[in-house]
Order: sequence, then C-alpha cells, then structure tokens
Amino acid sequence: MSISKESYRVLESIVGAEYISDDPVVCEGYRSGPGGYESGLGYERVMTVVPGCVIMPKTTEEVQRIVRVCCRYEIPYVPYSTGFYGPRSHPHVEGALLVDLKRMDEIEIDEKHWFAVVGPGAIYSPLQEECMKRGGYVVIGGGGAQASVIANFLGDGWSPLSHRIGLPHRRILGTELVLPDGELVKMGSLAQQDDPFWGESPGPDLRGLLRGYTGVRGCLGIVTKMAVKILPFQPERLVPTGISPNTSLALPEKRVKWINFVVPNKEAQVRAMFEIGKAEIAGAVTKVPLFWRAIAKAECKEEFWELWGKESAETVNKFFIVRVLLIGFTSEEHMEYDERVLMDIMKEVGGEARPTRPSDESWIKNADSAGMWVMCGSYVSVDYVIETLSQATQHGELYADLKWKYTPPLMPDYGDPGWFQSFELGHQGYSEFLVYWDQDQNTDGVDLFYVDTAKMNIKNRTYTSLLGPHQPLYLTGPKYGPNYHLWLLRVKDEFDPQWMCHPPVPLAHDVFVERAKWMKPIKDWEVPKDLPK
Amino acid sequence: MAERQTKIDVKKLFKESPKTPVKLDVTDLNNFVYDMSRCIKCKGCTWVDHIYMPGAQFRTKCPTATRYLFDSYGANGKMRIGLALAEGKLQWTDKLLEIVYADPLCGACDVGCKRNLDLEIGLTLEALRVKAVQDGVGPLPAHKKIAQNIEKDHNCFGAPHNNRTAWLAEGKINPAKKADLLYFVGCSASYVNPEIAQATARILKAAGTDFMLMPDEWCCGNIVFSVGMIDEARALAQRNIEEVKKTGAKTVLMSCAEGYRMWKVDYPKLLNCSTDDLGFKVVHLVEHVDSLIKQGALKPTKPMDMRVAYHDSCSLSRLSEPWVPWEGERGWMGMVEPRLTRRRGTNGVYFQPRDILNAIPGLELVEMPRTRENAFCCGAGRGTKEAFPELALWSAHQRLEEVKHVGAEALVSACPWCKNNFAQAVKEDGNSIEVFDISEVILASIDR
Repeated sequence: MSISKESYRVLESIVGAEYISDDPVVCEGYRSGPGGYESGLGYERVMTVVPGCVIMPKTTEEVQRIVRVCCRYEIPYVPYSTGFYGPRSHPHVEGALLVDLKRMDEIEIDEKHWFAVVGPGAIYSPLQEECMKRGGYVVIGGGGAQASVIANFLGDGWSPLSHRIGLPHRRILGTELVLPDGELVKMGSLAQQDDPFWGESPGPDLRGLLRGYTGVRGCLGIVTKMAVKILPFQPERLVPTGISPNTSLALPEKRVKWINFVVPNKEAQVRAMFEIGKAEIAGAVTKVPLFWRAIAKAECKEEFWELWGKESAETVNKFFIVRVLLIGFTSEEHMEYDERVLMDIMKEVGGEARPTRPSDESWIKNADSAGMWVMCGSYVSVDYVIETLSQATQHGELYADLKWKYTPPLMPDYGDPGWFQSFELGHQGYSEFLVYWDQDQNTDGVDLFYVDTAKMNIKNRTYTSLLGPHQPLYLTGPKYGPNYHLWLLRVKDEFDPQWMCHPPVPLAHDVFVERAKWMKPIKDWEVPKDLPK
Repeated sequence: MAERQTKIDVKKLFKESPKTPVKLDVTDLNNFVYDMSRCIKCKGCTWVDHIYMPGAQFRTKCPTATRYLFDSYGANGKMRIGLALAEGKLQWTDKLLEIVYADPLCGACDVGCKRNLDLEIGLTLEALRVKAVQDGVGPLPAHKKIAQNIEKDHNCFGAPHNNRTAWLAEGKINPAKKADLLYFVGCSASYVNPEIAQATARILKAAGTDFMLMPDEWCCGNIVFSVGMIDEARALAQRNIEEVKKTGAKTVLMSCAEGYRMWKVDYPKLLNCSTDDLGFKVVHLVEHVDSLIKQGALKPTKPMDMRVAYHDSCSLSRLSEPWVPWEGERGWMGMVEPRLTRRRGTNGVYFQPRDILNAIPGLELVEMPRTRENAFCCGAGRGTKEAFPELALWSAHQRLEEVKHVGAEALVSACPWCKNNFAQAVKEDGNSIEVFDISEVILASIDR
C-alpha cells in the first residue's frame, strides 16, 4: 500500500524526485527477509511488510521536514540506516515511509580533540580506517563492519575491544536527534554551541532515553548526527593482506598480538579474565564459542559441518580457551610488559599458550561477522548480558540448558554456553547467546525459545539487555519494574503522541505473540484490550 | 523435553533430510531461490572488503548501488526482487527491467558476498536476465539492436563484416596461416581499437610467437549472453569453438577481457562443460606476456617514465576463474552434495599485469584505493554502455577520481571496453590523464 499522491508530492518537494520512490519494485527491494538477522522467523513473517514508499534525505533539515509531513498526513515512518538489523529495523505496518538515511554518511574526524562526527548512513569500517590512519581506534560492535555506527551505538556497540575501551554509551558525545514530531534536540555540548566534543550538557541527559541498555529500535525519532569518542591505539600500520575470501590485517607483532591460551576449566577462564583486568593489561580478552573456530577454518558451509561433525558435547564441555589481544599502546616496551604479566597470570591459572596467527579479521575491522550465517543460513543473538564476570558465565549456562529443549530446530551445538568476555578491564563480564537454524525448517520452536528465555530470566531474576522492546513488554515490564513497561509507554506517548515513528514498537513483540497462533501455548500473561492488532 | 544429542552424524542428517535438486544453470531462476532467500543485507555486495576499506572516501565497489542509491539497485535488493519474481509475487515492469539491466554484472557483488557466505549472486543476476528474455520482456531495445548487428554482420557494431581484418593491412601485420596460437581479436579491437590488435600482434612477433587468426572471425557473443539471450549466445559459442577446433589451435589468446571471460567461463557454462574440456587453452595477452618475460623471451627494456595506475578489468580479474559444471542436491542446513568448489574471484588474473608493468624500467605502478577483487568497474561492460550510457560514463568518472587521488599520470587497463569508456570520461573531464591499453604499454617498452 503506497502513500497518498498529495503527501508523495510534498515529500518529493523536500528531497527531489531522484530520492523518493513508491514504485512497488523499488519498495520490494527493501523487504526485511526472508534472509538476514532474526529473519525467516515468525516475527519477520508476521510483523514486517514492504514499505509503501522510500525516501532518502541528505540533511537534518530534510529529515525534520519529512517527519513533520508524516505527522501531518499520518504516515507511519521507520528510520533505516543499513537494514542489517533484521526485521526490527523494517516497517511493521502497511503504507509506511521508510526513511533510508544512507545519503547522510558523513565521517569527519576532529584530530585535535579525538572524536569523529558521523551521520546515520556511515558504517564502521571506514570510520575505523580513518581512526587508525591517525593512530586511534574505536570499537566495531559485534554487528560488524557493515553496521551503521550510530545505529550500533544506540543498540549494542560492543566487542572484545570493549575490554579496554569503555562501553558505548560512555563514548556518545554531542548528538542531534529529530524527535518524532520534527523538533530538533541537540544533546551534549551541541546544545550550547556548534561543537559536539562533549556528551553531557546542562539539564537531563537524554542519551539515556535514546539508548538505555540497548535502545528502542528507532521508535523515538531519528538520530541525524553523533560525535563518538576515538581512543588512542598504536602507530604501526595493520597491513591488509590476502585475496578474498582470505583477507586479514597483518599485525605488527611488537605492537599488536593475539595469543590463545587453553586453560583447565571455566573457573580458570574467569579467574584469568579477572586477573588480566586487575592488572590493567591487554586490549581484548574473550572466549568465543567452539563452533566459531570451525567457521574460521572452513572454506565453505559443507566444510564447516565436516569440521563440526567431529566435535561432540564432550569436546564442547572441555573447551576452555582465553583469547588475549595485546596492544603496545605506548611503546614496544609496553607490549613486552603486558606479555610478561599475562604469562605470569596464565602460569598461575594453568593456561598454556597455543600457536596463534599474527593477523586479525574479526575484531579490529570486523570483516567476517557475516560469516555467522554460513553454517545454517539463519542467526540471531537472543540475548546480551552485562554482569560481573562470574555471573555472566552462569547466565550462558542457563541459556544453554534451555536451548536443548528447542534443538532442533536450533543448530546442534551441544549446549555451548555462548560467548563471554571481560568488559572495561574486568569491571563487567559480558555474555552473548547466539542461536542458529535453517529457516526452511519449521521455526516455531525458535520463536518459542525466544520468549521462553524471557520467562527463564524472570524466574531466575536475571537481568538482560533484550528484555524491553525485544520481548513482549507486558510480559517483562511488570516483572522488572513493576512498572517498567508503563514508563516506557509514557515516554513513547510523550515524544510521539501520534505513534508515527516505527509503530507498534515498543509493543511489537506483544502484537506478534497475539497474532501468531503457535505462540499461544507460551502466553500466560495479561495484555490490555487496546493493544494494537 | 527433546533428547539431548551429544554427538551428531552430519552425513546421516544430510542423507535423511528432504532434498532439492539444484544446478548452476542460469536458464532457470529457480536454481537460485536458496541463494536469493539467504541474502542477509550485510551489503558485502556493495562495500569494499572491510579489511581493505580505504577510509571515508571510496567505500563502495558496486557502481549500480552507488549511482542509484536505493537498496533495490544493489544485489541485496535484487535478491529480494528476484525472489518475489520467482514466486510470482511481482510482475515485469519497466522499472523492474531497468533494475535488472542497469548493471555491468561486474562481479563485485558476487566476490563480496562470497567473502563470508556461499551464495551465487552473480549467477542469480544472470538468471534474472535470462528470465526476462524467456518471459518475452527482455532484453532492452539497445541490446536487441546489438543482436541484430551480430546476426547481420557478425559484429556488435553493425560494421561491414569485410572490414573485420582491416587492422592487418593498416598495421602491415601478416599472421601465420597455421600456428599453435590463435589470436581471437574480438569486435572492439577489430573495428574500434585497431591499435590494440596491432600492438598485440607486434608483441607476439617480437617474442617470436607465431599466431594465426580465425579464418572467419565472428563476435564472441559477450553482450547477447550478458543480456540473457542464451540461445543466440550458445549458437555463437558452438560456432566459434568449432571454428577453433578446425584450425587445430592449442591456445586461443585474447586482448579483450570481455572476450576472455566469454571464452573461458561462459562458453563452457553455455555448453555445460568445463573450461578444461574446451580442447584448447584460453589465455589473455597479459598471461602470455608475463610468462614470456619470466622466461626471458621478452624483455621490456625501453624506459617509460610514467606514474601509472592499473585498472583491473572485471572480466579478466574477479570474473575469470575457470568454469566447472555442477549439479547436485541441497539438503540439511542448506548443504549441497557433491561438494561444490565456489568461484570466489580468488584466482583471477591479478598479479600478471602488475608484474608486467613493474618489469618496465622507469614505470612507477601505483595502486588505487579500490584494487583487484575490490576494483570499481569502469561501467561499460556486458550491455551497460549500450543501454545505460550515463551509468557507464558515471562509473568511469568515479574511477578517474581514484586515478587523481593517487596522482597517476596514466590509467592502464587490459580491455578495450574499459579503455574506450575511460577515454570518453577523460575527454569529458578535460583532464590530462592518459588512457592506455596494456598492449600499447608493453609494445612501447620492448625492442622490436
């Protein structure tokens, strides 16, 4: 369903005929699935529709004008940076305007004050390259090099490099937000002057509303500009090597080095991470799932399964690895010092160093994150946890235990407890739980597993990042608030009284559960009668 | 509670799973439904490999997605559109035809996707064009004119067939009547770029390599194949291969990258055989010359004081890996059997032209930010220049920005289509960059 001719003409006058289309073929190209992050599932099939129109603004002023037209003509709209974040970044209602922000792709580096100003269409890898040219770096979130910097900062924005670099919300500086009614909000130092160098400003810090733990998926307006902090790296060039698909960054070994350690057990893993953080060494400390090793080794899907077929519950349960990235931030001597301290720690915990390639493709530029889809074709990270190191690992085990119930359709990974690592020098522990399936199979079990994880967390009183708009809000809100959901909805009503910005988020998962018949057995909570249908 | 499987038997799971027959056959779009349905919108098809990402400038490698901007023009959008078409949810319209054809099919998307995944993006795009022809809506009028030219005069320009060998007399070239090596000149070098044909012939002569021509050379069929006219392309492939076999040539040499890809990859694809089964070797001039230089049979001794950027012609580089026919079945987790070795662009002709240029005294070769498998296509190939000249020229201008960025005085490529398109862009731009085919540079560097 396209938008009215009158409103189309008004929108066209804002951006020009070249940057707007309601042609059904053009709109089909923006379909959410059937492949992609969290795609091929019930949520994607039930909740997403092809946009009625696509528009590509170039400036903040154009975004403001577009949003005002949407409010005037009651056109629901969805901000869209790259579309990589699966169904939740695509229209959920008929006749929506998809605001494709790819033309707003500025990357400007302030070399004096070490921050970058980016537009919502800018992705990570060019930003990282510009930073590294100047001896700096940023975290490229687990979403990978292709993720929009701003969208990722608002949503997730962490990776193994978060061991050293602070969590993303600490690195958001001056930010510009077009509210759902078109009003412009300038945050941080931008509120007072045309310089985004600082994140805080007089009055309430609205970054919390914008981001929270993992953001509200574009239902509170459109961020049109953000300054992000750059941190000092080291001066040696990381030289790109190889030909596709085997490309990687060659590491200057006296300044940057990965070392993999095998440790005796989970306690040793946690202790090693804790001690490394306490000693304030290393640039990254992580444990990744065993099957990622098979992904890295395999040249194709079939080879992955050949390699994975050799593993078993026993080998998974005995897989205790700690990957450490050493960075000589200030000098080669710095690196040597860190390595000596690291070896002392590993000696204490019984860790043994294993040969490790002097290259990186995964975490400094995150070039291979799309490889997550190679083995099954479908993937989602069902939850993220930021806790203490010891708590984070327990959390992964709870997920692994629940997952057995839904395997298949989930990929047989023998209860792998996921990815965990140190954040902010061990002050936090991070756990991420990833699931994989083949979307051609019956995926009802994946939809059920997703909501069942929320119930599990409620039962165990564990707090996670995706309990808000990613789960039925009327399931999680009363249990975590007791009025968390009411607050979130009041904020939504206050900023977007017409609910024009990405409806029905933040109630989208509630609506999904109501619409999907196969979700009935799991639904045992109350929802109001006026829930959007 | 499901039973906790502590070990799986992958072979058994595959064997017991439902199977779908699948072929790498572009005449049926249904062969690529899996590939279209697994696109994850990472846009690896559009971005330069993130490892090689040069920075804020020159981020993308897909001319079409960069020019038209809507996702629908990128391979990620086309996978969704193609799937809707295959499922009967979309009908052909002028816009759909434009999206399918405004694309040089340069392979950047295919290689980019296969950096991380196993999806056949390039073949899917070819299959979409074949479907357009099968459904009676394709190709575009400009393409039909080319097909008519080929049918009437055996060349894509509609020039008199008798003029095909005019470059010989102009250049005072006398090919052998019989030789192991056959030089397939191609339409461009025969009619538009005789300097390339003449340079190629003189290089071969200087190296002491006897060569013959096809007694009656016809168009290779690159454009008709690329726009989906599969029957016409197959007929040309059969005819040309037959003609080569009659000559007894052991090697067919091209100076045109488009022709090289056509002979090496698409003829076997059309005839359901492998490149190795053609009965002769297919080489590009740069492979032959690189080998001659390394053997000492050809010495580039004349200095050329010039700072040069080399442009990887798509059909010589990422699109040129040999073809091996494959058919099998897809089962559990999307695995296929028998094992399929995917063409990922890894083994394209990348180092040979660079080694040649680096062997020339005084010549300074500089790499552009987007290079090898990440090169930004000139935009002229595979029917684009004919139907979308504005896109082709726009792409060439984008590439020239890189030439200026690295401060090169000249741009060298190994395909007449690239040369002509760049030359037109330079002329329009009014700048002083010189554009050469690599055959001209080689010839200028050797003692004859």
